[in-house]
Amino acid sequence: MSEIIKVEHLKKSFGQNVVLKDIDLTVNKGEVVTIIGSSGSGKSTLLRCINLLEKPDDGKIYYKNENVLEPNYNLPKYRTHLGMVFQQFNLFNNMNVLENCMTGQVTVLKKSREEAKQTALENLKKVGMERFIDAKPSQLSGGQKQRVAIGRALSMNPDVMLFDEPTSALDPEMVGEVLKTMKNLAHTGLTMVIVTHEMAFARDVSDRVIFMDKGVIAEEGTAEDIFVNPKEKRTKEFLHRILNSDNN
Amino acid sequence: MKKKLSILSLVLMLLLVSMPGLTMKVQAEETEQKEFRVGMEAGYAPFNWTQNTDENGAVPIQGDKSYAGGYDVEIAKIIAEKLGRELVIVKTEWDGLPPALQSGKIDAIIAGMSPTEERKKQIDFTDVYYESNLVMVIRADSDYADAKSLEDFSGAKVTAQLNTFHYTVINQIPGVQMQEAMDNFAAMRVALESGTIDGYVSERPEGVTAESVNPKLKMIEFSAADGFQTSPEDTAVAIGMRKGDPDVAAINEFLAGISKDERVKIMDEAIKNQPASDEDSGSPILKILKQNGMLFLRGTGMTMFLALAGTILGGIIGLLVGVYRTIPMSEKKGKRASQKLFGWLLNVYIEVFRGTPMIVQSAVIYYGTALLFGFDLNRTAAALFIVSINTGAYMSEIVRGGIFAVDKGQFEAAQALGMTHGQTMRKVVVPQVLRNILPATGNEFVINIKDTSVLSIISVTELFFQGKSAAGANYMFFQTYFIICVIYFVLTFSITRILRLVEKKLDGPEAYAPLAEEE
Repeated sequence: MSEIIKVEHLKKSFGQNVVLKDIDLTVNKGEVVTIIGSSGSGKSTLLRCINLLEKPDDGKIYYKNENVLEPNYNLPKYRTHLGMVFQQFNLFNNMNVLENCMTGQVTVLKKSREEAKQTALENLKKVGMERFIDAKPSQLSGGQKQRVAIGRALSMNPDVMLFDEPTSALDPEMVGEVLKTMKNLAHTGLTMVIVTHEMAFARDVSDRVIFMDKGVIAEEGTAEDIFVNPKEKRTKEFLHRILNSDNN
Repeated sequence: MKKKLSILSLVLMLLLVSMPGLTMKVQAEETEQKEFRVGMEAGYAPFNWTQNTDENGAVPIQGDKSYAGGYDVEIAKIIAEKLGRELVIVKTEWDGLPPALQSGKIDAIIAGMSPTEERKKQIDFTDVYYESNLVMVIRADSDYADAKSLEDFSGAKVTAQLNTFHYTVINQIPGVQMQEAMDNFAAMRVALESGTIDGYVSERPEGVTAESVNPKLKMIEFSAADGFQTSPEDTAVAIGMRKGDPDVAAINEFLAGISKDERVKIMDEAIKNQPASDEDSGSPILKILKQNGMLFLRGTGMTMFLALAGTILGGIIGLLVGVYRTIPMSEKKGKRASQKLFGWLLNVYIEVFRGTPMIVQSAVIYYGTALLFGFDLNRTAAALFIVSINTGAYMSEIVRGGIFAVDKGQFEAAQALGMTHGQTMRKVVVPQVLRNILPATGNEFVINIKDTSVLSIISVTELFFQGKSAAGANYMFFQTYFIICVIYFVLTFSITRILRLVEKKLDGPEAYAPLAEEE
């Protein structure tokens, strides 16, 4: 298996608050990695550090064996290889659904509009939003927006998709449609890194699960390792807490 | 982004340069010698006034399609001819005359100006070219109608024009109630008619005119013993020249060549010809519109041009400044220092232009460039520059607010797609900012329509200036300003409505009607 992303000794603080202490992480091609953990454990920050929306204080990030933190590294180009899906969707309000999926291809990848449109339509079909190409973001429901956001990220034809709590801002009845879309993607062999609170979903799709606690990776393993036979005390406590609250 | 900025500024420059007649020109010595540029209010009949045609020997006013006539114009014609130079009449506000002379924008002031000691400190005067005596203008039906001497005005409320010696002689009247000095004769006549004052001090030609134009007014003349005691240099009017101008001697010689009889004749002609003395009956509003319709139309055109072009250019400046301020600080030390310096300069620009009145900026920029740099700024260009730069200062803050209102997630999503800062701004942020700032921009436009009226201080022929000179000539102040007022209102009101329609159109009819999901 070939490494796509490799993170070594990553550190990040916001002022006095140390968010990531010393993170090592590898993502291989075709792998679905989910990151779980309680709020404030540093999951989202780790994800945002990977595509450098947050600048790490220390450590190294390799993309296909190139250190992306080198001073003159082509950052915009690197980001085109990573598709990012945000908790708050962040669709461009000044564009309709189709333009949202085309603008990155045309502006950054320099594709022709025709080619970009074809790619956009294909990906909108994958997320089931091909009927809404003329709609503005303000006309869509939360779930629809998130599916378009996934389509937009896929349209850049990335090597890795990063999902930052993609269902946390959704009404409960819309969570299903987004998770279903992501599940379908996982089955196509796409490399995905997902920060999520949806334990059942994580258990279902993950090749590897990472449990984070207080800025470090506390435990790492297959879905079965983590959910059925957790070794660490804090993993057990976390799962106990979250599964019980789910049952209530 | 850098490249983008410079392209935009290039476009801006081209726009400025390509506009007809707006190029700045450095004052050349030769043109100064060929032309004899005379400054006057062109609104102080019978000495000088503005009219629409060249009849009765009126001379075109520089940069305008109107003509100036009157006693001063006739004198100016004689002098220019004797000097062998071409006469150019530059219409200038009364208070703007001395600075215009000092800064070299005009060569002489022939505007019924008296050579007072105070003025002599700033400018030189030629010999006297007209001598008048002081009179009192009152209401014909008032108690003072039969007054013969100053004593008869005891207890009367009297005023005169600001910065004239007319005002300083008022306290020669025993027991007078001296009122605040007023800006112009227009205001005084209105005050007199409305009863706010009982009379104002004036000079004979103005008094004759007032009496003949408005039968409700009456001029009281005094015999030498009973009237105001004045020094000859006050009642006399002379030509103002720049300090040390060698032409003074020659002009004195020419003036000596015009006999006293000739002067009286020219003045009588002027009083007869002044536009206000047209024996026209009918509604005063119609009469004003008939006489000045074209003048007002041109003024409206100028006002709209300045407001529209100023708002657009100001909007572009504001957008450039607003977007520049979002550029992240460079990692390199040298570049970061220059970025900081430029950002600091932008802040100075915004604070200075927001923190000072536009009327003061106009005077400083227009006269200052001429005094300090010898730059003769075209008046319209100067006006456009001032309005744009002013609007730009406000707009950059509005744009800042507009950018601030764009959700942070929009920036992050664009970055995550691999867009550079410039691409993010252009494709995602600026289009949203434009929509965000539209109402505030429309507001700026409406403000500009009204605020360009302060540019009358540098004699830009916008609507208010035209109204002022029309009123100065026809003596119907209330009616004239009322018309101007209506025009301003029609302009601002229709602009507001149009902008509202544009906003509605932009938002689209289905903005809040979600599409039903097909199952």
